[in-house]
Amino acid sequence: MSSLEIERVDVHEDIDAANATITQQRLADALDPDASSLIIDLSATRYLDSAGIDMLLRLSNRLDHRRAKLILVIPDSSQLKRLATIVGLPEAIAIHPSLPVALQEATKPQKQVPTPRPGPG
Amino acid sequence: MDARQLQTEGAGNWLGAGTPAVAEQSPPVLSISESRRSQLLSITDSALGYMSLEDMLSELLERIRSELEVDTAAVLLLDEDRGVLLARAARGLEEEVRQGVQVPLARGFAGRVAAEARPIIIEDLDHAEVVNPILRQKGIRSMLGVPVHVESRVIGVMHIGTLVLRTFDEDDVTLLQLAADRAALAIDNAHISEQRAVTAIMQRTLLPDALPQIPGMRFSTKYLPAGSGIKIGGDWYDVFQLANGRVAFVIGDVIGRGVLAASVMAEIRTALRAYMVQGHKLTEVISMLNDLLISMGRNRGATLSILEFDPETEELEAVIAGHLPPLLTEPGGHTRLLEQRHGLPVGMRTGHDYEACRYPFPTGSRLLLYTDGLIERRDESIDQSLQRLIAAAHAAAGRTDVSLADGVYRALLDETPLEDDVALLAIETMRLQDTLEMTLSARPDVLGGLRNTIGRWLQAAGANENELFDITLSASEAAANAIEHAYGAREAAFTIRCEHDGQQVTVTVRDSGRWRTARPQGGGRGLEIMHALVDSVKINSDEQGTIVTMTKTLSYQA
Repeated sequence: MSSLEIERVDVHEDIDAANATITQQRLADALDPDASSLIIDLSATRYLDSAGIDMLLRLSNRLDHRRAKLILVIPDSSQLKRLATIVGLPEAIAIHPSLPVALQEATKPQKQVPTPRPGPG
Repeated sequence: MDARQLQTEGAGNWLGAGTPAVAEQSPPVLSISESRRSQLLSITDSALGYMSLEDMLSELLERIRSELEVDTAAVLLLDEDRGVLLARAARGLEEEVRQGVQVPLARGFAGRVAAEARPIIIEDLDHAEVVNPILRQKGIRSMLGVPVHVESRVIGVMHIGTLVLRTFDEDDVTLLQLAADRAALAIDNAHISEQRAVTAIMQRTLLPDALPQIPGMRFSTKYLPAGSGIKIGGDWYDVFQLANGRVAFVIGDVIGRGVLAASVMAEIRTALRAYMVQGHKLTEVISMLNDLLISMGRNRGATLSILEFDPETEELEAVIAGHLPPLLTEPGGHTRLLEQRHGLPVGMRTGHDYEACRYPFPTGSRLLLYTDGLIERRDESIDQSLQRLIAAAHAAAGRTDVSLADGVYRALLDETPLEDDVALLAIETMRLQDTLEMTLSARPDVLGGLRNTIGRWLQAAGANENELFDITLSASEAAANAIEHAYGAREAAFTIRCEHDGQQVTVTVRDSGRWRTARPQGGGRGLEIMHALVDSVKINSDEQGTIVTMTKTLSYQA
């Protein structure tokens, strides 16, 4: 497994009930089957509604099955940061304030978070 | 008067020769004319006029085949846009139609008949250039072809063939030409009614049914086709909202007329919407459109302007592809043409680069997008025409009795009959009212525009950044619920109302849909978000519908 392939997608528009499904498709399509991480840069997104949050959670689940992780870039100054905290998004998806931080996180070796599996030895 | 006299008269009319009296006195001549007359009557039989075009052509070809004692007969029609002849009906050569034989103009037998617009006889096919392989496969030896024309315009070719060598004579040519003329009439009539039907359908689908309702913006339009049916032009306009709350305005004109121009317009309109909705930059959108048109080989250019308005920054961005400059009137009344660098019309040259320019478009601005038919007049330079437009825009600005588009159009109106289509789209931005009320279609794609409008209204009401986000997103969640309630209902709508009483803002979302239990996933999260972001959320639901009322107190010091 080429473990350090990272895909990055910038989202420029709002994610809401109108485009959540198609955006999920677009993001999933952008992901190489071998990629270990998908970074979604939401720096330019103004609004993310409940349909958008559900979409991100579904996408994160799908990536989990492929042993890849989803990382969101949301600047601390963004209104989305407040929203994410309110709905508890950081508990399910890694959120970093900038792209460099997110890239650094993505290149770290995979750790067995949050549910350790029985490993060899 | 007996039957024979009638027939003789009939033949005399067609051939322009002979009188009944003379014919009756010369029995031998009469007997030859008699068989000729029977042929003529068979072909000019008025009953043919009551058949559908398909039946009429088959019947006519069958009669020709038997009257002229030939083995094959066929009609090919000219597709002017592609410069080819297409087999339309055939007898003894049915494969020609089934296989959709196409003969390029000026090539092969039928192609030459059409290009030279005269009868051509091939005595022996073995010594002639033939494009259509079916003719050889069938073993045809001799052929005669005549042009099918309407007035002086060639619209197709009619040809006959024999499996044995035959020398076609002058009489054969005359008779076949007569049949071709008879067919021409029917084909032309059918064409006109077919095209009318097609263009009527297309025109209905080409222009937006209704312009979007965006508070703080007013749109008015004028669309006057100079011709109908086959003369339909390729002018169009479009207005649509984008997911990020921006609004796109488009005006364009496909070069040429008729069904092809209209269908290219439909393609452009669809492609543009698709590219814009995907969030591409304007310069990318127009380049993609340009490449698309060239790759589809449409051979039709189009001039157009695409503008994107961002209500948040109150800026307008424009790209222009060979189109007349939009006219912008600033709130103070100063008027100017957006004379940025014009790119070529789209569909002309691959890889052409377009430039986008930005213009301030504050509340109270007006914009006119139009096609050349609105202003161009004979004996007038384009500068003079543009000056008249500017004068008309000033004259219309003061009128309150008619829409801006109507005002401009009336100010430009003169006695000149329309020579070209007129399309005019007028856009005005205005201050939002203290109470904002919108009725929107229950479709998810209205959400972006809704957030945008509420955001602007809240800004004017004195909300800070956080409050603006909280109230706007909550309103959007409530609206998304209303849209979900209406799921499946046709023409469903919901109403959203925002008002503020001092520092307290109240947002009410009312739908008429029956309450639907929330989806297993997500339905609850919207409510959770609303509760977290605003001070109070009340939901009242009954058979009439659902009303969601939210309040939040703004923090500003009055």
